[in-house]
Amino acid sequence: MGKINIAKFKAPPLKKRIMQNGLQTFRYAILGREVNRGLLFKIFIYWILIVTSYIYLNPILKMLVKMVMNEKDLNDPTVTWIPHEIYLGHLKTAWAALQYLESLFVSIGISTIVAVFHVISCGLMGYALARMQFPFKKLLTFLLIMTFIIPPQVIILPMIIMYTKLGLQGNLFSLILPSLFGFGIKGALFVIIFRQFYTTQPKELEEAAKIDGASSFKFYWKVMFPLAKPAILVVSLFSFVWTWNDTYYPRMFLGQSPLVPLATQMSRVDASITSMIGNEETALVLVEAIKMSASFLALLPPLLIFFFAQRYFVESVERTGLVE
Amino acid sequence: MSRFKLKARTSRHLEALVFIAPWVIGFLLFMAFPLGFSLYMSLHKVTVLPTGLKYDYQGLKYFTEILFGSSAFYDNLLPFFQEIIIMVPVIIVFSLFIAIMLNQDFPGRLVFRVVFFLPIIFTSGYVLTEFVNQGEGTLGFLERFSIGEYLIQFLGDSSWAKPVMDVLNRFVLVLWYSGVQILIFLAGRQTISKSSYESARIDGASPWEVFWKITLPAMSPFILLNLIYTVVDMFTFPYNPVIELINTGNYGYNSALAWIYFVVIALFLSVIMLLFLRLNRQARSR
Repeated sequence: MGKINIAKFKAPPLKKRIMQNGLQTFRYAILGREVNRGLLFKIFIYWILIVTSYIYLNPILKMLVKMVMNEKDLNDPTVTWIPHEIYLGHLKTAWAALQYLESLFVSIGISTIVAVFHVISCGLMGYALARMQFPFKKLLTFLLIMTFIIPPQVIILPMIIMYTKLGLQGNLFSLILPSLFGFGIKGALFVIIFRQFYTTQPKELEEAAKIDGASSFKFYWKVMFPLAKPAILVVSLFSFVWTWNDTYYPRMFLGQSPLVPLATQMSRVDASITSMIGNEETALVLVEAIKMSASFLALLPPLLIFFFAQRYFVESVERTGLVE
Repeated sequence: MSRFKLKARTSRHLEALVFIAPWVIGFLLFMAFPLGFSLYMSLHKVTVLPTGLKYDYQGLKYFTEILFGSSAFYDNLLPFFQEIIIMVPVIIVFSLFIAIMLNQDFPGRLVFRVVFFLPIIFTSGYVLTEFVNQGEGTLGFLERFSIGEYLIQFLGDSSWAKPVMDVLNRFVLVLWYSGVQILIFLAGRQTISKSSYESARIDGASPWEVFWKITLPAMSPFILLNLIYTVVDMFTFPYNPVIELINTGNYGYNSALAWIYFVVIALFLSVIMLLFLRLNRQARSR
């Protein structure tokens, strides 16, 4: 960046100038022309980020390591990070305890369907709030925000009673039904995300459609919805992951039913693992390793999705204009 | 002419109805009805009979029982509140800091972004509770420098000692809650135009001034959003101690408890919003 050097007209002797320039380039290299350009600042950023990343990653790495340690390594205090051999027995035990394939199937099915329903229903409501005129719009916006802050615990008991009356209690469908209408886990937040996205789109789009005489429903599906890819990606990923991880609703709605999502199965596994191993001396360490394996197995699918989607994900979040 | 206009408006309203109908139906089914019903139950003694549920009206008995009858509610609520009051600023400052760092241009930032978004996948789950139980939530240096002991000495016997220690013991966990917040701040940071930074630079503002005069004011709506999000997230976290009190045992009593809890949250949020708006206005007028 060319800064105008006002002191130029009073040029100092050439030698001094060269020395000064040299000093300045050196200073710029270390401190930077602006503070956030210099080497020192870069080192500072890297240091902070690496330290915090370590804090973030530490539990995950521990999980990965403990998972593959055999009994001897687990009881050996000198082995912290590198096990002597890779032992897959815990994974096998966890696999069996989780009833992995069944639970995985349930989890994938429910999370996918919920994510799709959320995208459709929350998208419609978000669009209406952003772009359409209708009576009681302010009231509905207010109710939406109320919905966001009402804890699920307030409404859980009546919902259980309602589901029992409808014969849905204990049925996997009970987890999906609210999302069809834009409710369920953080549904209000998704409506808000869509609303924010649609408000940032140019108004000319609708005017063109009005002249063409297209109905707003058709226009939405043909034009606006395909435009909303960033919002769709963000909402579907959030919805998928949160539904995947949720154990509260399944615990309340499914009770003791045999087919439950992975996360719920994992919270049940505790007891079953302990009974599988019995009361041996080393049992506690083993239980821990098996639980780590179970956590890993339960998290693997969303982690994989995240790693493939994260590049688009970050971009999309920036483009949704989350709040403006 | 006017009749035509009227018709156009009605048809527009009808079209809007198609869009809002699902949500409105959902609201009635999954929000309004359960809310009303739980209010109804909170005023009744609910007995489970083989033929169904029986409701006996008894007024505000459960409410007075919870609020004035015993201290169980406060014993659970107050420490939790203190924890939230400590945790929320930590989360907000930390995530703002990280978001600003991640927004800098340096090689490898994509890798770090991936790392900092990991909590979004982890936090909501049972896995997190597992980590806490394993004691992965503590920071090594706290023990190494026995910061905890200093703090206990400093705080003495005040009621703050325990919540502060609890938060410190779960400090990593507190940082883990920052996933969505970092994301919101990152998205928010993108809305500040580059030109305002350039002009500040030309005017010779130091980065410190730039942060306080440009970045922070422009980020204030996002800070409010994050405040609300964090508080709501904490309050509705299924494993928090107050919510553990609400189980499926006594329907009437639990409904009353849930309602009191909800009112407390609403009050807490409105206090935060008022404070924030006032602070913001003061900052603007200066």
